Amino acid sequence: MRILVVVAILFGVPIAAQQPDTTARRDSVARADSIARADSLRIVRELERIRGEARPVQPVGAMTPTRAVQPGAPSLNPNISVIGDFIVDASPDGSTLESARRFDVREIELALGASVDPYFRGDFILGLSDEEGIAIEEAYLTTLALPWQLQARVGRFHLPVGKQNTTHRAELHTIEYPHVIQRFLGAEGGKGTGLALSKIFAPFRFYQELQLTAIERFPEEHGHAHEEEELGEEHFEGAAAEPPNKTLAGLGYTARFRNYWDLDEATNVELSFSGGTGRVAEPFGCETFSGIEPCPGPSGETAVLARRSLVAADLTLRWRPLREGLYRSFIVQAEVMRQHKDQPALPSGVPASAVYLGPTEETNGLYVFSRWQLSRRVFVGTRYDWLEATGDAERDLTAISGYLQMFPSEFSKIVLGYEHLRPDVGERVNRLLAQMTIAIGPHRPHPF
Amino acid sequence: MNRLVFLGAAAAALATPLSAQQLRIVTSTTDLHSIAHAVGGNRITAMSIAAGYQDPHFVQAKPSFALQLAKADVFAFVGLDLEIGWMPTLLDAARNARINPGGRGSVDVSRVIPVLDVNPTADRSQGDVHPRGNPHYWLHPENGKRIARLFRDKFAELDPQGVRGYNANTARFEARIDSAVKALAPQLAAIRNQPVVAYHTSWRYFQDFTGMNIVGFVEPKPGVPPSPSHLAGLIQHMKRTGAKVVIMEPFYDRKMPDFVARNVGGNVLVLPSSVEGVRGIDDYLELIDYNVRHLAEALR
Repeated sequence: MRILVVVAILFGVPIAAQQPDTTARRDSVARADSIARADSLRIVRELERIRGEARPVQPVGAMTPTRAVQPGAPSLNPNISVIGDFIVDASPDGSTLESARRFDVREIELALGASVDPYFRGDFILGLSDEEGIAIEEAYLTTLALPWQLQARVGRFHLPVGKQNTTHRAELHTIEYPHVIQRFLGAEGGKGTGLALSKIFAPFRFYQELQLTAIERFPEEHGHAHEEEELGEEHFEGAAAEPPNKTLAGLGYTARFRNYWDLDEATNVELSFSGGTGRVAEPFGCETFSGIEPCPGPSGETAVLARRSLVAADLTLRWRPLREGLYRSFIVQAEVMRQHKDQPALPSGVPASAVYLGPTEETNGLYVFSRWQLSRRVFVGTRYDWLEATGDAERDLTAISGYLQMFPSEFSKIVLGYEHLRPDVGERVNRLLAQMTIAIGPHRPHPF
Repeated sequence: MNRLVFLGAAAAALATPLSAQQLRIVTSTTDLHSIAHAVGGNRITAMSIAAGYQDPHFVQAKPSFALQLAKADVFAFVGLDLEIGWMPTLLDAARNARINPGGRGSVDVSRVIPVLDVNPTADRSQGDVHPRGNPHYWLHPENGKRIARLFRDKFAELDPQGVRGYNANTARFEARIDSAVKALAPQLAAIRNQPVVAYHTSWRYFQDFTGMNIVGFVEPKPGVPPSPSHLAGLIQHMKRTGAKVVIMEPFYDRKMPDFVARNVGGNVLVLPSSVEGVRGIDDYLELIDYNVRHLAEALR
């Protein structure tokens, strides 16, 4: 602005000429012009002096010294980042990826974020992939000025259920979510569209946070591969008499209660409990000689609303000595989840031979993960997964995996992973995966 | 009646002017914390998020820090993207509109600093660069004074009844800096124009203050660990320029600096880049004094 004024004065823009012209005024304007020109000359000389200042011996390495008087003006543009997630599957028995590819651009995330005004911040993350095309991964407004340490979020977001589900897949320490999260919340983690409210407090002198959400619907369970095959033609989705969201009881709800302690300056622990519930349409049908056929109820419905609930507990211990924190750290993390599915009563008026076809079992699952930092750029990690057998499964699913992570910089990551998977059906699988993740754009805050 | 008494007491407590309480200051680094204490005296309470012996670029955004920020009247930070890896997460978690960007209590200290090494065209092929300028400005005592004046004005704005105290404390702090710098004149003369090598770009402002001549860096680019070929070139360059001292912060691994120093017959000097970076350096003036005296000693 100041430069503009100086330039305007130097080029003689007759701002004062628009005013009533008197001798006294002309004198005062002339004096002001003279002072401004002197000031502008002083600024120009100062800039020349700064630009022309002799430099010391040109250093080798990290910087090229330059000099300026002030940082540049802040921009009102949103922060724009692109995160690329590339996967190679070198498993000996063929690709084990959902896309069945050996080389895959699993997802490109385009993230835009900025303060909207003093009251809201906006974040928009679009996911681009061959399978899904363009999808809204997350899109939410976050309040910035609610009282009493409250924060509200409106839109689509990762559900605060369990620990790792709150982290984007590309930012995980591992290549994929733990199996229990993939099964219960989806391969890309559980997201919901709705309203979230959270509050932090410390009545016992340590950090606690309560996070509540109300969402359009609770995430669908990620089906087992064998379920689809075995159900074959018997499997149909059905349509309920009314949409689940017709009443408030039909929406999805989650809650998470976080507790955090600093054990010392290097070590901290987080213990959280979470749960979620929601109603989903599950089919019913009638047993006939040729198998199970749809047998609509009085309103033509072929499905009934069933409640699905999830409870989880997670524990994370981190160790990172401050002095050597660039080179040494350790994290161990465990989550246990239990899923419950009700068997709802079938609507009155359906044939007596009608049976409920949705799942009803209770299922448990867990994982334990640890990661050790070997050097500034290299980490090794391991994970154990367990999922209880359900339905027609032959046995529990178990998996053990190891990871080697390399961070060429804060903005790129290369992960090599091996997993020995014993699925609930079929042969054991050895998986060899490699992942490269890059981020361009503004510095992304490190997730905690 | 009891209820009325209670309501009256509550109203009185709420109506107590801010100035009757201590301002709660949170700073991102120990250096800002030390200067805030020098200016605020007993009218403020202050805590620093980063410890003096850790790399301020890489601080864990721990929820316990968010609790401190949630109660803060002022959050003073270095700026120029030094804290960008963790500050947004903490501010988001703290839910304190006073200290959010644009809030009365949000103090970007770099606003009052003549910033060096601004490079708006920088990209990440140049390493972990700070396009808006080098953020290690507190290592120049003149900038220490600027920071103190900024704190004086901010504290006075939020606590007008403390103005006289803030003015007096700031004047005293500036006088102490002038006196300390004067006392260091012989050491500064010994340092001037002497070639040194630094690990990271943290010493740019300290270079301006002391007149030492940084002829190279252990890191080939900011934040990038050195390769063997870079170190080989650096050793040759040090031999050509006569540099014998490698200065580094306490939180870096000294294997590579030791290797370089050994090859030129020099030594590695670990200097704290922040208050409390080494034991016994408990305030800003001690930091400046310690670094100048030890560097002069090493260059002798």
